[in-house]
Amino acid sequence: MLQKKICMLGSFSVGKTSLVRRFVESIFSDAYQTTIGVKIDKKVVRAGDEDVTLVLWDIHGEDVYQKIRMSYLRGMSGYLLVVDGTRRQTLDDALALNERVIQEAGKVPAVLVLNKSDLTEKWEIDSTRESELTAAGWNILRTSAKTGASVEEVFSKLTTAMLAE
Amino acid sequence: MPEQAQRRAPQGQPEENPPDNNHAYEELRHLIIAPEQEEIADIQERLEDLARRTKDVSTVVAEAITLRREQGGDRALAGALAPTIQETLRESVRRDPHVLADALFPVMGPAIRKSIAETLRTMLESFNQALEHSLSARGIKWRIEAFRTGKSFGEIVLMHSLLYRVEQVFLIHRQTGLVLNHVVATSVPTQDPSMVAGMLSAIQQFVRDSFDSKNEETLDSLNVGELEVWIEEGPDAVIAAVIRGHAPPDYRLAMKEALEEIQRLYSSGLANFKGDAAPFHAADELLSRLLATQHREPVAAKKPRAALATIAILVIIILAWAGYSSYLLWEWSRFLNAVRGQPGIVVISYDKQGGRYHIRGFKDPLAPDPNALLSHAGLDPNNAEFDLAPYYSLDDAIVVQRARQLLHPPEGVTLSEHQGELDVEGTASPQWIAGVADRATLIPGVATVETSHLQNSHLLQLKAPQSAIESVFLLFPVGRAELEPGQEDAFAQTQKQIRDIVAQAEHLGEQTSIELIGHTDSTGIEGTNQLLSQQRAEQVRARLLRGGVPPANLRPRGVGTTQPLRAEDTEEGRRLNRSVTFKVTFTPTSPVN
Repeated sequence: MLQKKICMLGSFSVGKTSLVRRFVESIFSDAYQTTIGVKIDKKVVRAGDEDVTLVLWDIHGEDVYQKIRMSYLRGMSGYLLVVDGTRRQTLDDALALNERVIQEAGKVPAVLVLNKSDLTEKWEIDSTRESELTAAGWNILRTSAKTGASVEEVFSKLTTAMLAE
Repeated sequence: MPEQAQRRAPQGQPEENPPDNNHAYEELRHLIIAPEQEEIADIQERLEDLARRTKDVSTVVAEAITLRREQGGDRALAGALAPTIQETLRESVRRDPHVLADALFPVMGPAIRKSIAETLRTMLESFNQALEHSLSARGIKWRIEAFRTGKSFGEIVLMHSLLYRVEQVFLIHRQTGLVLNHVVATSVPTQDPSMVAGMLSAIQQFVRDSFDSKNEETLDSLNVGELEVWIEEGPDAVIAAVIRGHAPPDYRLAMKEALEEIQRLYSSGLANFKGDAAPFHAADELLSRLLATQHREPVAAKKPRAALATIAILVIIILAWAGYSSYLLWEWSRFLNAVRGQPGIVVISYDKQGGRYHIRGFKDPLAPDPNALLSHAGLDPNNAEFDLAPYYSLDDAIVVQRARQLLHPPEGVTLSEHQGELDVEGTASPQWIAGVADRATLIPGVATVETSHLQNSHLLQLKAPQSAIESVFLLFPVGRAELEPGQEDAFAQTQKQIRDIVAQAEHLGEQTSIELIGHTDSTGIEGTNQLLSQQRAEQVRARLLRGGVPPANLRPRGVGTTQPLRAEDTEEGRRLNRSVTFKVTFTPTSPVN
C-alpha cells in the first residue's frame, strides 16, 4: 500500500484538530500537540483502484508564542492549509505561512481549507477573494467540523493531487 | 613526365569510352568488394530470417544471463524475468497442477515441517514457562499481580522472567517518517505501525530541534515504563527496536550492522522512496533477526534443592532427637523396672518434671541405695529424685539379711528363708544353737525356725575319739569275769582314751557319759549269763576307777545274750560276744545365753 506523509497547517484555533477528529484513526492523545508540537494520525483514502495511507502530521497552530517547527515538514508529499472562514486574519497568516513552507519544503500539492462553513453569517471571506486565490492556483474547499461537510473531499482531493505529481 | 601521363590516362578512359569502361568497372568492383558483399547479404539474411536469428540467440542466451548477473544487474534481470516466470507458473498450474506439485513436493515437505516445528517450539516454550510459573509460590504471587494490574498472566510472567525481549522492530524512512517495514514477536500486541513510526520521527526531530544538537546527533533510546525504544539512524533509514527489559550493549551493534546492510541493499530504493514500501518487505529476514529474546537464568531451580536439604536436615535432627528420647525413655523404664524388682524397694509412683524423674515409695534400710543403681544403669543420678519412706520388707532376701545381721551366725552356718520359715543349717557351737530358735522368732518376717540341720561343732570334734572307744571289745574267758590274759594292753589304751575324751569334753563344756555294756555268749543258762555280763561290766568299771576315771562318767550294765555282737556259728563269733563294749554320749554342762 502506498503511504504519504501529509501535514496540516494553520493558525491557532482555526479548528484543525476538530476538523479531522471524526475522520482519522488516532492512537495518541492531543497532549502531544502542546508538548512536542505535533500529533500523528492516520487516514486511509481510496484513490482510483488503490488505497493510500496518509500519515497525517497535525501540527500545532502557529501563534505569537509558538512557531511551527519547520523540520516537521520534512519529507511531506502534501499539506492542508486550514483557515477560519470567520476570521479573515487567519487567511492572511496562512498565506504568509505558506510562503515559508514553500521556502523550507519546496512546492508540493496543497489544499486550502476554509473551515467553519456552517457559520455563514460571520463569514469574512468573500467570493471575490476566493476567486483570486483559485486563479493563483489554489485548490479550495469549504468545510465544517461541526457538520463534517467536505472533510472526506479534502483528503481525496489532496491525494489525487499528490498522485498526479 | 611519362609517369604522370600514364597515371592520368586511366582516369580519362571512362569518359572517352563509357560502355566499355562501365563493364570493366563493374568487373573491377566485383573483384574488389564481392567477398564483403556476400558477407553483408549473409548478415542481412540472418537478421531477417527469424529462424536463424532464434538459433543464433539460443547459443548465447545462457552465457548472456550469466554475464549480466556477474555484472551485478541481477535485480533488473529478476525484475524483467519475474512477470514471465509468474505467468509461466500460472500457465503450468492451469494446464496440469501435478507437474508443479510434483516438482515442489521435496521442497514443501521440509518447509512445512520446519514451520510447524517452529510454531510448536514457541508454543511449548511459553507453555512450559507458564506451567512452571503457575505452580510455584512465585507463580501465585504473579497471578495476584496480574489480577491487581489487570494485565494478562502471560504478560506478568514475561515481565518477570525475561531478561529482555525485542518485541517490535521498525524500519523507518528517515526523510518522511513513513514505515518501510515492521516485524513483531509472537503474540505481542501492537499499535498501528505507521502512526508509531511517524511519532518516533516527530520525537526525534523535536529532540534534535529543542536541544539544538550539532553534527546530526540523535536520540538513541527512549524509556517508556518497562519498555525501551532503541533507535539507530542511518543516512536514509532508521531502525527502532521496542525492547521489554534490558538488552545488552551488544544488541546495539547488531542494530548497526542490520542498518548498514539495509542501507547497502536498498540504497536507491531509499533515495527514491515515493511511499511504496513493497520493495522493503524483503528486509523481513534481516529485521526478524533483531527480534531477540533472552530469559533470566533459572536461578530459582536451586531453591527447592536447598529447601529439600534443609527439610532433610530437620527430619534427621527430629529423628535423632526422637530416637535419643525414646532411648532415654527406654533406659529409664528399664531402670524403673530394675528398681521395682529390687527386694526392699517399693515404687508407688513416678513422674517427670522439668527433665527430672521424681520417684516415690518405700525402702527397707537393708535395700541397696537407688542412686547407686542409677549410676550402675549408666543414667545421670542428678536427673532423679527419690522420696522413699523406710519400712520393713518381708522379702525373703531382706529377711535373711536381717536375720544374719541380728543372729551373727558363726562361720559354717547358712541362713535361708521362705514364707516366714527361717532355715538354719551348718555347724555351730551348742551354746549358739541353744539360743538361735528363741532369738530368731523375734526377727520381723520370721515366724518359725528350722534348726534340725544344725550340727553341734563340739560333738564333731569328739567324734573321732568317741568312735575309737566305741569300737573296742574287751574280751573275757568262758564263764569268767576277769579279762583274758593278753587284754591288758587293749585295756590300758582304752582307759587312756576314756580319760582323754572326758577331759576334752569337759573343756568344751560337755559332760561325758560312758556306758559299759557287758555281754556273754549263748552257752550256759540265761540267768547266769545276765549276772555274768553285769559282773564283767562292773569289773571294767572298777578297774577304770582305779585308773583315775571319775565315777560320774561311768554307767555299767549287763545285757547277757540279749544284744549279741556277732553270730555264734563260729568260735570267733562266740569269743567276741564274751566282752565288754562302750557307748559314749555327751550332755552340755552349762546353759546357753
